[in-house]
Amino acid sequence: MATIELQNLTKAFGDLIAVDNVSLKVEENEVLCLLGPSGCGKTTTLRMVAGLETATSGDILIGNKNVNNLDTRDRNLAMAFQFYALYPSLTVAENLANPLHADNLSDEEIKKKILEVADILQLREIVNRKPHQLAEGEKQRVAVGRAIIRDPECFLFDEPLSRLDVQLREQMRGQIKEVLSDLKKATVIVTHDQLEALTMATKIAVMRDGLIEQVSSPHDIFAKPNNTFVAGFIGTPQMNILECNINEINSSIIKIKVLDQEVEIDFKTSLNVNKNDSYFIGIRPRSFEIVDNNTLDNFSGTIELIENMGSEILVHVKNNHLTFRSVQSRSHKLNIGDVINLKPKNGQVHLFNKSGEVIRNE
Amino acid sequence: MKKRAIGQAGWLWTSLASVVAFIYFFPVLFIILTAFRSRSDTLATPPKWFFTPTFDNFYHIFFRSMANSTEYVATGFHMYFFNSIYISGMSVLLALLIGTLAAYGFSRHPLRGNDTYMFIILTTRMLPPIIVIVPIFLIFRITGLAGTYTGIILMYTAFNLPFSIWMMKSFFDELNTEIEDASRMDGASERSVFFGVCIPQVKAGLAATSVFALILTWNEFLFSLLLTNKLTRTMPPAMARTIGGEINVDYGLLAAMICLFIIPIFLITYLLQNQLLRGVTFGTIKK
Repeated sequence: MATIELQNLTKAFGDLIAVDNVSLKVEENEVLCLLGPSGCGKTTTLRMVAGLETATSGDILIGNKNVNNLDTRDRNLAMAFQFYALYPSLTVAENLANPLHADNLSDEEIKKKILEVADILQLREIVNRKPHQLAEGEKQRVAVGRAIIRDPECFLFDEPLSRLDVQLREQMRGQIKEVLSDLKKATVIVTHDQLEALTMATKIAVMRDGLIEQVSSPHDIFAKPNNTFVAGFIGTPQMNILECNINEINSSIIKIKVLDQEVEIDFKTSLNVNKNDSYFIGIRPRSFEIVDNNTLDNFSGTIELIENMGSEILVHVKNNHLTFRSVQSRSHKLNIGDVINLKPKNGQVHLFNKSGEVIRNE
Repeated sequence: MKKRAIGQAGWLWTSLASVVAFIYFFPVLFIILTAFRSRSDTLATPPKWFFTPTFDNFYHIFFRSMANSTEYVATGFHMYFFNSIYISGMSVLLALLIGTLAAYGFSRHPLRGNDTYMFIILTTRMLPPIIVIVPIFLIFRITGLAGTYTGIILMYTAFNLPFSIWMMKSFFDELNTEIEDASRMDGASERSVFFGVCIPQVKAGLAATSVFALILTWNEFLFSLLLTNKLTRTMPPAMARTIGGEINVDYGLLAAMICLFIIPIFLITYLLQNQLLRGVTFGTIKK
């Protein structure tokens, strides 16, 4: 049982700073997802924890012990790789056994462990096959099996599900989550898929350009984004982020001008904002409800496009050259060209300042 | 694309391929036949296709009468044959050993200006070797390397290194480095990552590179002619001397020598053909 702690970790490749002064802590029992777009430094961070990449500066502590100068094999970690990294010439059983060789176990103990892991991940049928005879999902399970067969301090997963198709991904997501919750170890998962992060993690760290943008629980990351990047990155369809101007402040009720119309929004608590300054408001497409009359508490616009999303529809509403999007139930009979009034739901409007940071009164 | 098993091509393609193969093989066939002809049969016009085979030519490679004498003496050819095998073998092994290590380094631990180094290594193969023959001859004479096994082996190793490094680097570049990282996670040392994980995966590359280097070294004439002496001479210059030393050329003898000369290279290529085929097609198959 051990924690993973990163202190001011930085990695530069020449002039490019891939990871910039990252500090993080993963507690025992905690599953941390490093989430971010491609090239944000999340995999580099993971590889530094594994010791496959040397940090330019900063410290890595595993179980409160500094491992900066420790070789990969002495760190006692297990990692599952994006492309599975199975040894092509070895069978599934031999692949699973490989991490055990360092532990000097007897053949029987090794066999027992292989069968144990094979049972957990439903690999019993295929233990004697070679990797090229496996389906993608089976390879993925073997890769996970190889990571969990030993009893390492912590687990690292690099994009574990990115190569699976949608159906299999959903299924494996649940399975991995189950396996991880049984293991009760500090785990780091790297992913670019927010759904993966939101479902599997107990804590999410959103990264961009080598920097940590926000570290929170999956719920808070979604409900209380710290800045416009996190707000836009998490959640589909993407949050509407619109430039606005504050016209009037009346304790918690702020009158803003957005999309060429004045709207009053009740933020429930007084915010530290200035009159006549410009800000951004963020409202998720699912945070609107349709109302009959255009009053001061709702937005109005013309429907420009309707996208079918199965049980729901995504409505593009245009007003004065600016569009915003709203998800509505199929039961509303909406047509292109209709004028629609949308009222943001209570407490689901986010306000950001000019540089994109959230303004919130905790 | 429809997949077709080997041996299932249509008769048209098969016969066309046979004709092409025969055209390619014809000179070799002619040499082999000549090696078994007697002297009078060799010079007959039109060529005699049916004759009584004789092993005289092969015997004469090792024992024959020298000018103006009827007594048969040993020619020392077995020694040249051994020299060729020893020198080629050693230089190919050395080039493979150094080349593989260097290629792994260039591939996995790139230096600042890695591509420049790789290019400089390649430039040594851009000039025809004859350009450097005078300085090399002088260097060899001054250092006392001329006429020694060490000298010619080093020379051939230097010849083989550039493309050994280039070929092996491309094979290492093709590997999935995640497997190496995975074995590091599994507790492997850097040495066992190289020997246990990387080398087994580039077996085909090693085979292709060694056959390539072997053919080049085996056939090399110029440097062997100048840098070896009577004791360390390899087959190509030794064969050439057989033509030049006599009043007229003994084609039968020469053909027999060629037969012996191609046997080792033929055997090795045959033994490695599976690996070789994989090696040649390696880069063209998507992972």
